[in-house]
Amino acid sequence: MSRHSNTNANANASTSANASTGGESRRFPIDLERGLPALDGATLRAHAGLLLAVSLMALPLVIAALISFGTRATFTSVSELSLETAAQNYHDVLFRYDMGQYMLNSLLMSVIVVIGKLAVSLLAALAIVYYRFPFKNAVFGVVLLTLMLPVPVRIVPLFQLAADLGWANSFAALTIPYLASATTVFLLRQHFLSIPASLVESAKLDGVGPLRFLAFVLIPMSKGMIAGVSVIMFIYSWNQYLWPLLIVDDQSMQVAQVGIRLLQGVVESGDIAWPLMMAGSIVTLVPPLAVLIIFRKPLLETFGVE
Amino acid sequence: MGTRDTREIYGGSLGVGRFLRERGLRGTIAYLREHGVRGAVENAREDGRSLLGELRGISVAYLLLAPTLLVSAVFLYYPALEALELSFHQTLFFGGERTWVGLGNYETLLSSSAYHESVAITIAFAATVVVGVMTISLIVSFLLYEVDWGQSGYLIAAIWPYALPPAVAGIVFLFLIHPSIGTLTAVIEGATGLEVDWFSNGRQAFFVVAIAAIWKQLGYNVIFTVAALNNVPATLKEAAELDGIGRWSRLVRIYVPLISPTLLFLVVMNTIYAFFGTFAFIDLMTQGGPGGATNIMIFDLYRNAFEFNNHGLASAQSVVLFAVVSVLMYVQLRFSDERVHYGA
Repeated sequence: MSRHSNTNANANASTSANASTGGESRRFPIDLERGLPALDGATLRAHAGLLLAVSLMALPLVIAALISFGTRATFTSVSELSLETAAQNYHDVLFRYDMGQYMLNSLLMSVIVVIGKLAVSLLAALAIVYYRFPFKNAVFGVVLLTLMLPVPVRIVPLFQLAADLGWANSFAALTIPYLASATTVFLLRQHFLSIPASLVESAKLDGVGPLRFLAFVLIPMSKGMIAGVSVIMFIYSWNQYLWPLLIVDDQSMQVAQVGIRLLQGVVESGDIAWPLMMAGSIVTLVPPLAVLIIFRKPLLETFGVE
Repeated sequence: MGTRDTREIYGGSLGVGRFLRERGLRGTIAYLREHGVRGAVENAREDGRSLLGELRGISVAYLLLAPTLLVSAVFLYYPALEALELSFHQTLFFGGERTWVGLGNYETLLSSSAYHESVAITIAFAATVVVGVMTISLIVSFLLYEVDWGQSGYLIAAIWPYALPPAVAGIVFLFLIHPSIGTLTAVIEGATGLEVDWFSNGRQAFFVVAIAAIWKQLGYNVIFTVAALNNVPATLKEAAELDGIGRWSRLVRIYVPLISPTLLFLVVMNTIYAFFGTFAFIDLMTQGGPGGATNIMIFDLYRNAFEFNNHGLASAQSVVLFAVVSVLMYVQLRFSDERVHYGA
């Protein structure tokens, strides 16, 4: 409901802004009809400022990418960089230094976490929104309070617990502790509450069971929200560092983020191979960045931007 | 939530009485017209065995909640309570043997000047990150809000660091400002006249790590700031533009107060990030050094737990961090409702 009014407000805001600036600075009717930009000094300065800001934000990555195309940490001319060198670097980092394996592990971990979290949280949100049961508020509180227990707050016992369960170097340790998600349950609950009550009431009276209701009514009506939270979960999971660093010591089970640390150790024992390090960094960035770019629309909607 | 929520369709029958009360006579007639007498009879029959239905519904509800509650209990609440318990013990042999020391570990922390220093560094680090990331993202978001074309392109160019893995951000900065071979080192030295030597200069190391941490956090802040600005009513925007005051005083005097709930939310989230989400930066860039200049609390905790195997002391540090996150969460819930810990 609130999203609707927001979009309206946005639409109004931008059209009226276009109309007023366009009307003042230029008198061409085309300006109003096509919404061509009014290029006054303030607008130009805003664009210049934005271009500068986003360029500075991209600069470290651009340099890292350039370095990964060469053989040394420094280069004086672009001729020192070549596609063949890049191919060699990326090949080495993926296969000789096992980043490929780490990436696969990260990918598997993240996919399991996304699907598992989503399944578990959908069931919990279904119960919280569509069921009457005693201690509902208390249960919801217990779920929300887990926000106050990030990994560092329970790190030593969690490590011991996972070790006692025999989970060291396993996907179980990398994924199961993440499956309970206050954020996901909360967001799904908010979304379910925004689905018109009349709709769900007739679902009940037509005798639809809860799981069919979830599968055929709620999930289809929540596609955008589910896509958005999946992106949040994927990026969050891919970017885990401390927990994999602790619970995995078998290199073949390591994830990409910690793989960068291993890469640092491996290549630094010989010559410092910064091009390889930068290649490793770039490949580690690619999957979450691709997910962000591909799913930016549902992600931004979930965050309330559009 | 005060009145009964009609969405609660499971967990027992809706009941004819409640049905009438909620839909009113006209609603009920409309329902009868739509679903016929059979639907109504079914509804009433369910009401007839309401106790059984209710019990079944309640057990199904708890069954649906079971995975979340089980994982929360085993991997969140139990380890947290265990950390509290451990914090009252001294541990030997990798935690194999425990001796009750009461508040001994906390006394150690209170009297340890190294820990005091770590706390002070963490607070300074969090303040630097919060102020830095919010200033930059407020300016970028406001410019983004003001331009009338190219917004979606700028938006993606400004939010992508949300996906940036901390280890990648840390390694890239380690290289860029590497004292001997960094690409930007000479540029910085030329521009500031400083000698870049953050491998031995604690102050410089602190700021290099903070800048890398700020870089990573910009995307998240731009997302929320743009969302908040987009929610400013159109009439206010027009009034602000007609007033003819400059862009920056418009931002500070009109928009910042209007979006202050979001800004407070971001202060809390960025503080939590600086306390808990920056471990990879420290681990890859400085290892807490030089001379403890970047030894933030989470890194100190990690070292005590897994390098020195001092589990009791590390758990006491966990409890301190729990207190920090509790206060931050309380502030957020108390002063800005409707928000939640996105991305955790």
